[in-house]
Amino acid sequence: MSGAEQQPATPKAARAPIDETPTLQIATTDSAAETVEHYFSESQFQVLERLSDIIAPPISGVPGALAAGVPAFLDFLTSQSSAHIQNLYRDGLDALNHQAQSRFKTDFKGTTASQADEILAPLRKPWTYEAPAEPLQAFLVLAKGQILQGTVNSREWISVVSKRDRRASGLGTYWHTID
Amino acid sequence: MSPTYDVLIIGSGASGGMAAYTLAQKGVNCLMLDAGPEVDFTRDRSLKRVYDLPYRGFGRPGQFPHVTQASEFTANVWADEKQNPYTYDPNDPYYWVRIRLVGGKSLFWGRASWRLSDYEFKCKDHDDFGDNWPIGYSDLAPYYDRVEPLFRVSGRKEGLPQLPDGVFIEDNSVDSESVKRFVKSCAAVGIPTTKGRRATGQFASSVNLLLPDALASGNLTLVSNAVVRNITVDRNTGLVNGANFVDRRSKREMHAKARVVMVGASCLESTRLLLNSGIANSSGVLGHYLFDEFYVKNIVQAIVPELRNGSGRHGVIRGGGYIPRFRNLKTREKNFIRGYAVDFGSGGTPDPTYFPLYGEALQKEVNACKEAGFEMTAMGEVLPRFENHVRIDPNVQDAFGIPALHIQARYSDNEHAMARDAMDTLDERCRAAGFEVLVKHSQMVPPGESIHELGTCRMGDDPKTSVLNKWNQSHDVKNLFVVDGSSFVSGGSQNPTLTILALSMRSSEYVAAQLRSGNL
Ligand SMILES: Cc1cc2nc3c(=O)[nH]c(=O)nc-3n(C[C@H](O)[C@H](O)[C@H](O)COP(=O)(O)OP(=O)(O)OC[C@H]3O[C@@H](n4cnc5c(N)ncnc54)[C@H](O)[C@@H]3O)c2cc1C
Repeated sequence: MSGAEQQPATPKAARAPIDETPTLQIATTDSAAETVEHYFSESQFQVLERLSDIIAPPISGVPGALAAGVPAFLDFLTSQSSAHIQNLYRDGLDALNHQAQSRFKTDFKGTTASQADEILAPLRKPWTYEAPAEPLQAFLVLAKGQILQGTVNSREWISVVSKRDRRASGLGTYWHTID
Repeated sequence: MSPTYDVLIIGSGASGGMAAYTLAQKGVNCLMLDAGPEVDFTRDRSLKRVYDLPYRGFGRPGQFPHVTQASEFTANVWADEKQNPYTYDPNDPYYWVRIRLVGGKSLFWGRASWRLSDYEFKCKDHDDFGDNWPIGYSDLAPYYDRVEPLFRVSGRKEGLPQLPDGVFIEDNSVDSESVKRFVKSCAAVGIPTTKGRRATGQFASSVNLLLPDALASGNLTLVSNAVVRNITVDRNTGLVNGANFVDRRSKREMHAKARVVMVGASCLESTRLLLNSGIANSSGVLGHYLFDEFYVKNIVQAIVPELRNGSGRHGVIRGGGYIPRFRNLKTREKNFIRGYAVDFGSGGTPDPTYFPLYGEALQKEVNACKEAGFEMTAMGEVLPRFENHVRIDPNVQDAFGIPALHIQARYSDNEHAMARDAMDTLDERCRAAGFEVLVKHSQMVPPGESIHELGTCRMGDDPKTSVLNKWNQSHDVKNLFVVDGSSFVSGGSQNPTLTILALSMRSSEYVAAQLRSGNL
């Protein structure tokens, strides 16, 4: 169901008289439409989908990264990021496919859970303050953080979790352009 | 014809705000120019959900490469880095964090408010490094006594010589069990702790605590959107007589006249102004001795084990405290001089990226450690060194054609040794308190990121080695004063704003008296 359908129609009684300054109820792009993925290649995007699902799967009724639209969001975010981040992502996604092919004769999307776990071993290395020097590990650490944040900042995740935990409202004080 | 004001104050943040508050209420006719617009708190902010922001809370990539404090919620608050560029050697990055609004950074500061002591003012007497200030603690104490009630600083009196007590709203709150355990484990090896000392209230800024009284006196004219280009000098007398500024919105060039100029545009902006004006630098030290406090954020992230899985929560979590400097107070104990302080807090949830896990296993662990964290940040003294400096970059200008700064700053072995000592000591204290240490590190954030830049117009008794005298007055130009953190000679490990406020109040009272007696 799209977010637009979830928006309650403004009840008639709440309409302002015609000669008052109106405040129109505006929907955000995200709530009304889907991102058109365009940055990653199809195979890279498939790896990102699988990786997102592995890192942030749905758990006990809480939406995971896929339901939160994280792959499409990261496709968009990466398209606007620095060349360094773009390379990390593209090379990292390709490397996951490559490893799956060379180790298990399938692409990353086709790996079993335990095969994927083997490939994702760098994610089980202890945390370091500096980004890891090894490019695949650096990519995985970055992607893990972004997939998790993209999930918990999504409308889908917040609308479920905020019913259980009021602090997970996603609300913040936004500063408009000051002039 | 435009009027000649008694005093022109450049900058409306903590330092400029205090100058206006002090002078205007003493009947001195002031003009204040600030580069930024004024904030309208009803119009300029609203509640939004993170998923309604264009970048889902991540912020526009690359918008603030040097402001790690910026989020997508606050992106419009920070000075635009493209309009206000600066340069550095790529090997020595400097994170210059600026706010160009009426009220400056005082609108958003964290409000930690500590006094300096004679361990800072008379630092050279203790370890023979650097220089003493031209003033001692007793000179500034009466001003601290007045600033603290104005900023409603809460705290607990401890009688520690390295962290003098103040006029506090007494904080007698009871510590949670986890904090008590950590305090006890520190006390066991002679490490002191205290409650945080913080300006209280909904808001503690120049715009609510200083500027309203100054304006109410009828002696302050406050002009926003006035970007000062340079301070002007009367060629006949060598004295300053006002400033050239550009209207930020129309780009109209203007000049304002005054008998005295007080600069409080924040440490590096004030220094840039003096350098661009070609004044107050007979010593050759203007721009030099740049320092700040180094930060090692989340130096140790621990878990309070009995809080795992949400058990035993009542009275065990929440709250925090502060470890003031304890190294090198009486004898030289370590492989570094000076010392560091630590902010600690209980009850956070560790960042999921700390766990070498993913998927359900990660979620299980994060849930188990929810609000069971005990975390701390170390803040250490950075030695003022001549070679750490700012200068004008002849090749770069801001959006108004004003030459930009080149910043050269690097931490030395002393700071690195201190950071390692802090990590090891805190790791040990956490374990002694029975906490599990999840991660630890000793990597300092880049210079500047602590937002405590200090020292580039330093005070001193000797005009050959300092820019300002003990009244924050230029040695070279007697009607020019610089009242922000650039006047510091050393900074200790305490956050600087309380001292900036006290210095500005002291200097402003001196200016008022000098004006009254006809000396300025
Ligand atoms: C997020 C954050 C947390 C902080 N937490 C703490 C804390 O807990 N404790 C602490 O002690 N300190 C803290 N600080 C630092 C504190 O805010 C500063 O030390 C303090 O505000 C410095 O005061 P100032 O007057 O020198 O500069 P500012 O408050 O920055 O004011 C400078 C003013 O000068 C104006 N200006 C600049 N250039 C020009 C120009 N060319 N012409 C005209 N006007 C100009 C600016 O617009 C600005 O309004 C924090 C800062 C931030 C941003």
